[in-house]
Amino acid sequence: MKKKRIIISILAIAIIGGGWFGYGEYSRKVKDLDRVKADLSMSAAEIISVFEKNEADANAKLLDKIIAVKGTVRKLEKNDRGQYTIVLDDAGISSVRCSMNSVHVNDLQGITEGNTVTVKGACTGFNHDELLGSDVILNRCVLEKNNNQ
Amino acid sequence: MKNLIVLSFILCASIVKAQDKFFTKSGSVTFHSKAPLENIEANHKSVTCVLDTKTGNMQFAVLMKGFEFEKALMQEHFNENYVESHKYPKADFKGQVLNNNEINYTKEGTYSAKVKGMLTIHGETREVETKGTIVVKQDKLLTVAEFIILLSDYKIEIPRLVKDNISNNVKITVDCSLEPLKG
Repeated sequence: MKKKRIIISILAIAIIGGGWFGYGEYSRKVKDLDRVKADLSMSAAEIISVFEKNEADANAKLLDKIIAVKGTVRKLEKNDRGQYTIVLDDAGISSVRCSMNSVHVNDLQGITEGNTVTVKGACTGFNHDELLGSDVILNRCVLEKNNNQ
Repeated sequence: MKNLIVLSFILCASIVKAQDKFFTKSGSVTFHSKAPLENIEANHKSVTCVLDTKTGNMQFAVLMKGFEFEKALMQEHFNENYVESHKYPKADFKGQVLNNNEINYTKEGTYSAKVKGMLTIHGETREVETKGTIVVKQDKLLTVAEFIILLSDYKIEIPRLVKDNISNNVKITVDCSLEPLKG
């Protein structure tokens, strides 16, 4: 009798615990990168050259990684939907396009062309285009450091 | 001097030519799938699109890893189990505006556009045809289109366990604001 009660209570705890974990897992939000440590740090020129050298290798190494990229701001773009993109590059027509997380839009105040900044984002890949130039794309980006401030 | 004139003519010509092309690198593509339990929706904000207004040629490039979901688990399943974005990191569309000569890209207004082309997702290419609109406004082109694809066409398998909860029909919405490409 006592044994049965223990088993039932263990089961109940397991079910509640499992349900709680399951629900937490189910409703888990995509992480705000503000609170995530970068997997690796590199300069804009470095990450561009890694992708230009061998895209498949670079994809295998860098896709989904959280990367802190340091570079010069070529442009701060705002599109019709109010989303910001920081375009980083050092030279040439290739660039790193950092699609900024709109939650942290206030951090972008004071950023101007020519600033040296470090942006942290999730690498989603490389767009190679003869006409438009090639871009490494970072997503869900947050500004880690503005070296000019 | 003569050379300079020739050179400036060539330069002018190339500028005119370049302005036939419009592009964006921050276009939006959303997909939406109705399901009994809950709707599945994701948005992509870094879509590249080029439209050549002279020929009506249109191209889109989408990095699959760039789709953002509200829920992390959905995003992980989408990438790992469905579109296998590690194997097939890119999707693209190459097509044409069929009624391109009916659209006056130099006059402001809203034009309906018929677009047809080849859509590649998950390494599979299928023909897609849809109607959309092109709004000519100031020096921008706002392009909007909506169409349905079948996951089964692109060999995207739905695990049997959740087959009843996930629809084979997915609605894709494209919304890109194109700027003139300066040479």
